[in-house]
Amino acid sequence: MLDGEPLVRWRWLGDHLGYLAGLTGDHAVIALVPVLIGLLLALPLGLACTRWPRLYQPLAAVFNVVYALPSLAVFVVLIPYTGLATRETVMVPLTFYALAVLLPTTVDGLRAVPEPVRQAATAMGYGPWHRLAAVELPSAVPYLIAGLRVAAVSSISLAAIGALIGRGGLGYLFVDGFQRTFPTPILAGIVLVALLALVCDLVLVAARRLLAPWAAGVAR
Amino acid sequence: MNWLTWLNDFFAAPAHRSGPDSVLHRVLEHLVFSAEALALATLLAVPLGLLIGYTGRGLFLVTALTGIARALPTLGLVTLAVLLAGVGDTAVLLPLTALAAPPLLVATAEGIRGTDPDVRDAARGIGLTHPQTLFQVCLPAALPTLLAGARTAAVQVIATATVAAYVGLGGLGRYVIDGLATRDFPTTVGGALLVVLLAVAVQLLFALLIRYATPRGARTVRVDEPAGSSPALSKESI
Amino acid sequence: MIRFEGAAKRHPDGTVAVRGLDLEVPAGRTTVLVGPSGCGKTTILRMVNRMVVPTGGRVLLDGTDVATLPAAQLRRGIGYVIQQAGLFPHRRVIDNVATVPRLLGWDRKRARARAAELLELVGLPPETARRYPAQLSGGQQQRVGVARALAADPPVLLMDEPFSAVDPLVRAGLQEELLRLQAELGKTVLFVTHDIEEAVRLGDRVVVLREHGEIAQLADPHTLLTAPADAGVAAFLGRDRGLRGLGLRPAAEVPLAKLEPAYDGWQLTLDPEGRPVHWVHGGRSHPVPVFDPARDTLRSALDAAVLAPSGHAVAVDADGRAVGAASRAAVVAALAESAAPSPQAGAGAQVNHA
Repeated sequence: MLDGEPLVRWRWLGDHLGYLAGLTGDHAVIALVPVLIGLLLALPLGLACTRWPRLYQPLAAVFNVVYALPSLAVFVVLIPYTGLATRETVMVPLTFYALAVLLPTTVDGLRAVPEPVRQAATAMGYGPWHRLAAVELPSAVPYLIAGLRVAAVSSISLAAIGALIGRGGLGYLFVDGFQRTFPTPILAGIVLVALLALVCDLVLVAARRLLAPWAAGVAR
Repeated sequence: MNWLTWLNDFFAAPAHRSGPDSVLHRVLEHLVFSAEALALATLLAVPLGLLIGYTGRGLFLVTALTGIARALPTLGLVTLAVLLAGVGDTAVLLPLTALAAPPLLVATAEGIRGTDPDVRDAARGIGLTHPQTLFQVCLPAALPTLLAGARTAAVQVIATATVAAYVGLGGLGRYVIDGLATRDFPTTVGGALLVVLLAVAVQLLFALLIRYATPRGARTVRVDEPAGSSPALSKESI
Repeated sequence: MIRFEGAAKRHPDGTVAVRGLDLEVPAGRTTVLVGPSGCGKTTILRMVNRMVVPTGGRVLLDGTDVATLPAAQLRRGIGYVIQQAGLFPHRRVIDNVATVPRLLGWDRKRARARAAELLELVGLPPETARRYPAQLSGGQQQRVGVARALAADPPVLLMDEPFSAVDPLVRAGLQEELLRLQAELGKTVLFVTHDIEEAVRLGDRVVVLREHGEIAQLADPHTLLTAPADAGVAAFLGRDRGLRGLGLRPAAEVPLAKLEPAYDGWQLTLDPEGRPVHWVHGGRSHPVPVFDPARDTLRSALDAAVLAPSGHAVAVDADGRAVGAASRAAVVAALAESAAPSPQAGAGAQVNHA
């Protein structure tokens, strides 16, 4: 119970702008670097899965389970390897979560090229690798970006839980506010996390407009 | 690694064998609490999802809600709820329910909406009323999708319930949080492992349910997309 | 010239797609492979650009076994058009058309200039160039597909049911366009279809196939329609093959009479330019079925005569002005005439005898 403490102390916010900005930056790194690494891993894995389709089912099943693992539990299990309160302890699981989202979207994207298009490309004299680079990868871009949107937003919200093991960017505001029965930092944290997610999402939408203009305003 | 020793310590500790801090008790607490949140979310989300999916109205609401729900940090919601409403299970039940509802809502609405329009048309054509069409035709067809949504929700609730031990909730999160606070790694890691096992078990349970709910002829249809990613990746987001 | 020498395709599971085909496809002409689905016609087509590798025999392109040429190089020299066009969804129309020239190492400017030329050639307005394929209609996409296949000016064009997925009206337009293009470019065209109507309309030579790619008959369209090799081919051609055959003969064979003031009380009203407006009888008026002797076929003339309430088909010139009339009896007399066809009909029914 708050015992007369106001929901938001605006003065505190004003006095801590630099601090909040620092936490936001830290949060962005912890949350988004894993998404980038996840993307870098998802591309070759996805390519391998389209090349050898048998690989996909078992891999998808594994990541399916990985995605469902509670983040806090995974952070904790990693502590003996990556240490308490280190970035890695939070970032390694987040990378796997991102990969779990991005692998299926990459595969779906690469498979989304209609068979006639594939055949037309072959008939015009594209070799398999050339076709991959010129036809299949570009066609997968809208799918990849859709996957990135989900992965980035989830990662940003999950990263906050890292605060419970000592490294969670904006998540620290929740722990701090709770311990001091002080709701202002908690609210600030929620808003900043949501804002960070929103900004990322908008950037990705803009990226899609830029990289895949054929996908927007075409079908609808 | 001293993993095995830790686990041995954890399971051998007398306190973990009987009493309020026993493994069995904590697992039950975790399950009951998660089931409560899931049931509450189902009561809220499924009827609304049926309505939205069948009428096709308010789909934008569904998309917006999922986006927001995914962006909100669970730890923030839980701590804020407890500060506002005081320590207690109800205070935590609300944010948990709020987190479980969106995936259920999306899955229900999309599942109903995804029913073959020709089949719906035929149902109406042979004289079924709207409610009959919804419950006898659309709902059975949407059941696998709905259950996939329920799986996402369940997994999310189990994970968040672990986090909620931080603000005083019982369940398996207690081991994790208490162990972290006292640098008692055997307890922390043991608890984490149990949470992982529980999450996997619930996943398997839902996989079985989904399989059972899918008509034999349609079992090649993929319903095992990574939890949480599938509803979000419906066509309009691409 | 393309030559199949005992070309065969047996699938790994043992089923035979093509048993062993001997066929010569003459240069500069349109050869149509037609047959029911599963007769192996697509397989035969795809042997030419090695999308299918024969398991027996060989395919020669201008005397060279295609198996000895690098696949990519071979394919860049052969245009290929398929049913769903297969345009790259992520490239603008102009860049789709410029694909092969770019693959051949042309610089972007030259490739695009060439692509623009081709879009014009296939009758697409210049503003389509900047669009994405999904923004075009099915017929337009198909035109882009043809333009793309022609971009590097390949001597050989393979077309696999290119017009099957568009509606009949658009299909007729595309067929007309292809005839016009072919008259201008003189490519070696190998065209696959299951539509006999399309086959006789487009082909200089038509190859009717049975199962396993066996040739049931190889003939020019007129011979095919008037003298099918056997009952199987006749059945495939359909019961109205006689009528279809009329579609290969020019309407110019119909003798024209001068327009008379009235036929059985039906009067023809003309506008000031001399174009027919209505058939009028008492208070009734009726549209005027017409044919153009210079461009239409005997089939159109017969159609006009059957539909005209007065029983007389009105002949018009290119500007639509009435130049004469033909009675049903006159049209029928023209049909009966000449077992030896003189098929140099207008653009709608070009036939070159092999």
